[in-house]
Amino acid sequence: MSGSGWPARERLTRTRRIALIAAAALALGGCGLGAGSDPGGPVSLTVTRDFGTEEVLSIPGAKVSGADTVLRVLQRNATVKTRFGGEFVQSIGGVAGGRRDGRPVDWFVYVNGSLTDQGAGAVGVNGGDRIWWDHRDWGLTPDVRAVVGSYPEPFVHGEDGKRLPVRVECADPKSKPCSDVADKLLALDIPIGRSNISRSAADESLRILVGPWKAIRGRDAESDAIDRGPRAGGVYARFDETGGELSVLDERGRTAQTLGAATGLIAATRSKDRQPVWFVTGTDDEGVAAASRALDEGVLSNRFALAISDDLPVAVPATPAAKAK
Amino acid sequence: MRPASALHAARAGISAAYVCALVAVVLAFENPIVLAASAVAIVAAALLAGAGGPLLRAALFGVPFALLVAVVNPLVAGEGLTVLARLGELGPLGNLDITREGLVFGAVLGLRALLIVLASGALLAATVDPDELLGGMRRCSARFGLTAALAVRLVPVLGRDARRLADARRCRPDATDKPGGAERLQIVRAVATGALDRALDVAATLEVRGYAISAEGGRRRPRTRAPWSRHDLAVAASAAGLVALAAGARLLGTAGFEAYPRTIVAAGAGTWLIAAAIVAVALLPFADRRGILR
Repeated sequence: MSGSGWPARERLTRTRRIALIAAAALALGGCGLGAGSDPGGPVSLTVTRDFGTEEVLSIPGAKVSGADTVLRVLQRNATVKTRFGGEFVQSIGGVAGGRRDGRPVDWFVYVNGSLTDQGAGAVGVNGGDRIWWDHRDWGLTPDVRAVVGSYPEPFVHGEDGKRLPVRVECADPKSKPCSDVADKLLALDIPIGRSNISRSAADESLRILVGPWKAIRGRDAESDAIDRGPRAGGVYARFDETGGELSVLDERGRTAQTLGAATGLIAATRSKDRQPVWFVTGTDDEGVAAASRALDEGVLSNRFALAISDDLPVAVPATPAAKAK
Repeated sequence: MRPASALHAARAGISAAYVCALVAVVLAFENPIVLAASAVAIVAAALLAGAGGPLLRAALFGVPFALLVAVVNPLVAGEGLTVLARLGELGPLGNLDITREGLVFGAVLGLRALLIVLASGALLAATVDPDELLGGMRRCSARFGLTAALAVRLVPVLGRDARRLADARRCRPDATDKPGGAERLQIVRAVATGALDRALDVAATLEVRGYAISAEGGRRRPRTRAPWSRHDLAVAASAAGLVALAAGARLLGTAGFEAYPRTIVAAGAGTWLIAAAIVAVALLPFADRRGILR
């Protein structure tokens, strides 16, 4: 035997055993027995069709058990069929993805207004989350990465259970629309910062840009994306070169309606690796004012984006179902 | 000599069809009640056919295999609403949750795998004459039938070769108690080489026995068609009955089973009726003991 009291071979075996136990402890540290803790707050579930036009299901306090995923919440509260080992939702309530009139249609899910970048089975649910499933034509673009229909999310509960700082950036910080927007968020107990519009570096803040489009465009990566059209920005509306006219597009990207002076727009977009950016904007000051008045949970409910003309809401995109309404 | 059971007495093709029908029933259903009935039918048929030994040997392989299937399923299928354990994010496997539904479905899949092994390993291998089966297959495809019969016959031969080579290796002065990977590879290589040598011998033997004579050029022995015996009719009817039961139940949606997101087992009167019918139809041929070895 060696001087240490253990033969070399037995020391090696003992070392291996200790290393194995340590590795197992590390691995198991990431595990948990049981269903996990409940989210600690109500979770709402909404199911719609055609860009939010038709509501199929709306449950303000959906059934949740333990550390559920977005997919499990849906399965607990609706009739769901999945594919590819449960990773892909094929149908909800009998409405299936596939093709409709030759156009591709599928289910997309938003949590607090942001398109999930992982499968629904991999996204956890937190208290206060708003889960929104929408069945839509994605022939023009599948990348509508942010929507306004879950307002006041993401401002109240943020993302992944983490509240995010909110900044209101205005073309004219002293304007009434700027104050209106700030006051509405403060009324929801959301601490905000205020500043001029800046081409900010990527950070964790949620930004709301308030001002006429001609004052906003070109000063931000996200506004550039909206100017490039739905394929880049995910917003089915485009301002003309002067910013004085707003074309509302249909699901295929064709102009369905052209709105002129005093037109407002509330829209959101999201670039990769950045938080969503909201726009409370319009063709002119009156349009911006109309948009700021429309920043309301009831008005924005189930909207991908919203134009306001003559103080009346105009659905964006302008789908046949929306036009029929 | 009297045959040991109705399966032995029936023609090889019909007995094989009977076993295939049992396998088809297992594959057609996921309902645990029906699978349990299929298990009763398969085990009882094997025992009544005097294939208890092969049944046990098949179970020695089948049970660990079934357990493997049962354990793997909940690990790879994270579906199900009742989470029992959360394993977290595991690289390319994504988020892994062990759910009760995954465990139940894993058990169902394991049971199906076990029943298929028992049916083919015990019933088929122990009761169907491979030569007679080959003779029947020759009418459809001589090459396929020959290859299948040779494969069935040669697997145990190669197994015995491997055991003899392993025994010979242990006699070497440098042999270790527990052979490592390299030593096992040596044995596999020797068996494979031996298999090729055997294949040449088998080919020469077959040629001598006239298997190379073509239908056009050679003399063919006249085929004698024996009428179907009562056992042929009983076993064939049983096979047809099993297939009809499975097809009918599927068409009518009886004996359903849903694995995800919630486990739903149809356990109504229809399911129990199907289960009872499977056992009865599968075992009825064994009721006729006329001409059977006592």
